[in-house]
Amino acid sequence: MEGFMEARNLTFLFYGFTAAWAILLFYVITLARRGAQLKKDLEQVKRLFQTAPEEHRERIEESVR
Amino acid sequence: MRDRIAIALAGAAAGLLAWNLYKMFLVLPDEAMQGPIFRILFFHAPAAMVGMTGYFVALVLSILYLSSNQLRFDALAASIIEVSLVFSLINIVTGSIWARIIWGVWWTWDYRLTSQLVCILIFAAYLMLRRGIDEPTQRARLSSALCIFGCIDVVIVWKSIEWFRNLHPGPVLSIRTGGGHMDPAYERVFYWNLLALLLVGISLVLIRTRQEATAREIDSLRRLAHAQ
Amino acid sequence: MQHERLLLGEAKTPERLARPAFTLATPLRELVQAWWIARKDLAIELRTKESVNAAGAFAITILLMFSFAFDPTEAENRAYFGGLLWLVFAFAGALIFNRGFARELPNECLDALLASPLSPSSLLLGKAISIFAMLVLVEFASLLVFGVFYDVRWWRHAGPLAGVFLLATWGIAVIGAVFGALTVNLRLRELMLPILVYPVLIPLLIAATELSGTLFQNQPFSSDQLLWVRLLIVFDVVFTALAAALAETILLN
Repeated sequence: MEGFMEARNLTFLFYGFTAAWAILLFYVITLARRGAQLKKDLEQVKRLFQTAPEEHRERIEESVR
Repeated sequence: MRDRIAIALAGAAAGLLAWNLYKMFLVLPDEAMQGPIFRILFFHAPAAMVGMTGYFVALVLSILYLSSNQLRFDALAASIIEVSLVFSLINIVTGSIWARIIWGVWWTWDYRLTSQLVCILIFAAYLMLRRGIDEPTQRARLSSALCIFGCIDVVIVWKSIEWFRNLHPGPVLSIRTGGGHMDPAYERVFYWNLLALLLVGISLVLIRTRQEATAREIDSLRRLAHAQ
Repeated sequence: MQHERLLLGEAKTPERLARPAFTLATPLRELVQAWWIARKDLAIELRTKESVNAAGAFAITILLMFSFAFDPTEAENRAYFGGLLWLVFAFAGALIFNRGFARELPNECLDALLASPLSPSSLLLGKAISIFAMLVLVEFASLLVFGVFYDVRWWRHAGPLAGVFLLATWGIAVIGAVFGALTVNLRLRELMLPILVYPVLIPLLIAATELSGTLFQNQPFSSDQLLWVRLLIVFDVVFTALAAALAETILLN
């Protein structure tokens, strides 16, 4: 009986640590994906400025500086 | 620069965590009455402490935002609350697993669990609120107001549920009991792990804040592009 | 980011409307203004009876549903009656404070109110007073029905019960008004309002449940339970003060 309880105890300890690390890992992965998405959006918006006609582009660059 | 600090902190945290795990599993003996499962405490309680600290730091930042109107305070507050929510979740899940062994049930309506759950609900609502508002100043203003209400309420909720129910183990750290129920060897690992989790939290907050800044830049560039 | 600061007006300090200086008469003026707002809302409510009827009907329906979930004739279940009643009031109250600020949205009445010389805190307080009055009415009606359906002779303790009800209802009204104001301009207002309000109301509901439960079981308050009365008072004072302090932040752009 002792041995069984001990085994169960250790199993749950393993579950506990796995759960804690899994939550943390899940959050880090979410952050990483959000970061990648933001980077893509930033590139896309910057491209908006590059396709603008010449006169507009000078005005935009003025205000961005 | 900030990214480098975040990576350095994460590295330090990883090293510290590895060292602590070694101590936890290979050096410290099992606890007399609880057995191996006791080791969960080294993550369970520090996660709660880091979470709670985060919420109150966010309170200060919200007040700072309302008095200065600088959006970076709001961005920092939101990042801190998000990371604190992750730590509170870790706290509740590890606590639940511990409880299954020690108390025989996955959940009980003890005051600390219930208060922590209410806390999670309030700050999850904070994040939901932020998602629902597109305009940055309005979002910052309303979430700061909500953060202030939420933090003050967390204090009241905690105290009231404590009076209402009582089952969770009492204080064991020697700073609270002035003599202590926990062996000094355990306490040392406990505090080192608290530091490690704090470092993990800070590096996550730095990364998240960087993302908030990028999101704001995208937003303002978009407005500029459409304004032209 | 220079362009961002200019776009969002961050670089300039927002100009505040000229407001009379804070004197001893200010609290009185605020209360009078709050009363104007409350009177307006209550006059509308008296004519249309929309919120009170809906909330009252909802409360009675839930009381009926609870009678199936917990058999009111069983002696052990009488211990739950306090909690049951306050759950009913919390849910019915949601219907009332959902309408609180939302009723000002059509025809831009909210903008008109905010542009007026009325201070934001008196607007918030006035809304809280009208929600309070409507909720008290619904509670009284529910209490009559409750006494009959659940065979609870609450009138024996009408005094202390009235005290508990008034204190707790004011807390609900203030929180409902504050979060109603916070969420008024959101697209997901009806979803966000319950999510925000209920966790915050938990201490108040616990206290009200404990106290009402004791009275319904014909027992006087023990000294332990005076703790809950103190909690109710502290809750009301703290959140009313916080609401008055943050009213401008929540309401004004």
